[in-house]
Amino acid sequence: MASWTLDEPGKRELDPVDRVLVRLIEGAVSVVGSDGPPTLEVSELEGAPLRVRQEDGALTVDYERPGRLGLLAWLTSMGRRKAVVTLAVPRDCRVELQVVSASLMAGGLRASVLAKTVSGEITLAGLGGAAEAETVSGAVQASAIRGDLSAATVSGEITVAEGGGSVRAKTISGTIAMDLGPSGDRDIELSSVSGDLTVRVPEASDLEVKLQSTSGQVASAFGQLEHDRTPGQHAARGRLGSGTGRLRASSTSGHVALLRRAPEVL
Amino acid sequence: MSPVFSHGRLRLYLLKLLEESPRHGYEVIRLLEDRFMGLYAPSPGTIYPRLQRLEAEGLVTQTKEGGRKVYQITDAGRAELAERHDELDELEAEIAGSVHGLAREIRDEVRGTVRDLKQELKQAAREIRREQRHENRSRRDQGGDQRWDWYDQSVDGRLWYFLDRTQKAIRRAQLTEAQVRECAAILDEAFQRIGQVLKESPDTEERSR
Repeated sequence: MASWTLDEPGKRELDPVDRVLVRLIEGAVSVVGSDGPPTLEVSELEGAPLRVRQEDGALTVDYERPGRLGLLAWLTSMGRRKAVVTLAVPRDCRVELQVVSASLMAGGLRASVLAKTVSGEITLAGLGGAAEAETVSGAVQASAIRGDLSAATVSGEITVAEGGGSVRAKTISGTIAMDLGPSGDRDIELSSVSGDLTVRVPEASDLEVKLQSTSGQVASAFGQLEHDRTPGQHAARGRLGSGTGRLRASSTSGHVALLRRAPEVL
Repeated sequence: MSPVFSHGRLRLYLLKLLEESPRHGYEVIRLLEDRFMGLYAPSPGTIYPRLQRLEAEGLVTQTKEGGRKVYQITDAGRAELAERHDELDELEAEIAGSVHGLAREIRDEVRGTVRDLKQELKQAAREIRREQRHENRSRRDQGGDQRWDWYDQSVDGRLWYFLDRTQKAIRRAQLTEAQVRECAAILDEAFQRIGQVLKESPDTEERSR
């Protein structure tokens, strides 16, 4: 196993990687797919040095944990630990990022991506494989995701532009806004407790739709849906096109809206 | 003064692409994808509005050639580009120099796209909600439709709705004795409790059951 410490900004070429694991605290972590050699770029480094380890294609970037200090002592003893790190890796490399407040970004990758943060923002762009984003209060913003996407927040907003695969988005009080491409056979499931859910699909979509909200309003731009309003809840159900895909959006007190997008003419 | 754009950088680059040569929309997208090193291709949905905005500002024009739209830079567009040439060079250097710069560009681009999208969808959702409420209200006012407007807060509306729906349901269902007792108990309680509330109102006479 190759292991070294980085204590100042710099750029470094790496051995071949097929899996990346980054565990940092604050700052920013970006991973982009590249056809060139794998590279690690540290643009900012404050507080503690980074530990970089490579073994059998697995690359780990994190902080050293001094053996003698307990976890709490270690966390409070070092003050601020901020790092701005960018990694260029092969497009088929699997990526796993876990941070506290750093912002995360992953782009141009074909394998699975897992991005977890407590309060940082998560940006996913041009991903072909399964992508999973989890945050408490940060926002999740995704564009051009061809694989399946799973996003979960407590209060952060989830926004997806151009989702291609199945999408599962859950939030408690954040809002969810989604603009999806042509459907095909896939599952879209959105849920919130109090955040508003808004999803827009192409006019010619093939979806079995079920929208519901307990105390919010359910509105749809597609006339084919049947609305069912009772004091207990408001629901709208129906089929668009051949109904090969499935769209379910449900909220407890948030509004749910299904919008229609006319085809573009460039 | 030019309006503030959330992704001013990409806008400059679009102008540059069109300065090089007039182009079709799809061509512009493919070139942008190259710029992002094949990592990310903005969709027609995000590029088209931007080209439209540039056109609205008089920096770009579009014509139709063989059934497809072709975008061209105008003199005003060329002037803007000349004025911000240094900015553009800086951008290029950033991307070419480091992967950090490239990642940041993509992130800013997605941020901008997402911001615009959120705004657009929020607006559209508000509108269809408003339309729907309006529709429901007018339908109810016309008395033609039996549906109750969910947002009608009146007791009267509820009473009517309750009676309408419940009667229909009860007639359809076949209740067991236990169910009948339970429903009756609920109704009695509701009657009593509302009676209490009404007693507190100064105008009510004494109720007798």
